[in-house]
Amino acid sequence: MVNEDADVVARVLAGDGEAFGILIRRYEPGLLRFATRMLGNPDAAADAVAESLVRAYRHLAQCRDPSRLRSWLYRITGNRCRSHLARRHMDDIPLSEAPPPALAEASDAWEILVRSEQVALVERALAALPAEKREAFVLKHVDGMSYEEMAAVTGARIPTLKMRVHRAREALLEALEEVVR
Amino acid sequence: MSPIDPRLQEALDAERDPGELPTDLREAYARLMAAAQLLQTTPRLSVATRIMTEIRLLPAPVHSDGPMRRLIRWFGRPRAVTVRLRPVWTLGLAVGLAAMLLLSSQQDSAPTPSASEGIANFIGHFPGAKSVEVVGSFNNWSRGTLHLNDDDHDGIWHAAAILPAGAHEYMFVVDGERWVPDPLAGRYVDDGFGAGQENSLVFVRPAAAQP
Repeated sequence: MVNEDADVVARVLAGDGEAFGILIRRYEPGLLRFATRMLGNPDAAADAVAESLVRAYRHLAQCRDPSRLRSWLYRITGNRCRSHLARRHMDDIPLSEAPPPALAEASDAWEILVRSEQVALVERALAALPAEKREAFVLKHVDGMSYEEMAAVTGARIPTLKMRVHRAREALLEALEEVVR
Repeated sequence: MSPIDPRLQEALDAERDPGELPTDLREAYARLMAAAQLLQTTPRLSVATRIMTEIRLLPAPVHSDGPMRRLIRWFGRPRAVTVRLRPVWTLGLAVGLAAMLLLSSQQDSAPTPSASEGIANFIGHFPGAKSVEVVGSFNNWSRGTLHLNDDDHDGIWHAAAILPAGAHEYMFVVDGERWVPDPLAGRYVDDGFGAGQENSLVFVRPAAAQP
């Protein structure tokens, strides 16, 4: 995947702009999930991801290491999310903007109901975290990144990121004490 | 918010087997992992079409080099240069260039002897020598003024010098310490030190008398 990214980037830079669609298909789902968890609003997340990927296309030649494209794209998207949160002068997510529960994987009505409640409660708990801790938790446990890759995405040092993840876990665990079992 | 057990943090960082945790920590581990799993649900929307529509309107991205590479490329790229000159200036420029060429050709050419001078050639066969020079009556027997060269390393050393017309005594100094007369000189004179040593003698003909 890493080398394939570099190949696709080379194609785009050689003039094959349509090849950028390959990168969109590859990274759009993860970026949308990341932005949704960061912003708590699917529409705002869609805007942030679209703006980030267009920006990535325009500045693709400045991607110094195309083999680490994922980190680069997450970094651009993370910055876009932070800008969005800064414009709102807050880094927590209003409950009214919490994303609707995802139902696609549930199989029956009861399971759908239970799962929706669980998702909504977890999302609310996550939304209550400060943006930096929320970002650290999502990158670590939702996107499954290593601390090294998280450092590349956020620009923060690894010990700082570990501390943020640890604090986020503590806060979430406390909030979910009686919820997710 | 209370700190959680470091063993739980280690398990969540995949640095410890969660199966080794005590029961209460194992439950907390399961709760957090379940929460993370719930958050892993991917939103069912796509902005791919919107992005592709936008980027089709943009100029294609191109490789951008650093300032140094751009500078090197700028110097290496052929460019058309247009110079607008009046014909009279062109004439003046041509005269100036001709004068410069003439001057430089004069500067580059070897010095020529005057009517009362001539060229003396010194040639010696000294295989294996590291240096050979000539000392004589024309340089007050001083070393370091006239060196012979052996550019092709065949042992034959050569130098030419402009000297006043007439007879000059000389000796070769080999490797800075061995004074030897020129075996090809043809004429020799006593060196006047009473040890039976002779100096070589060269006759320089005035340039005006050269054919």
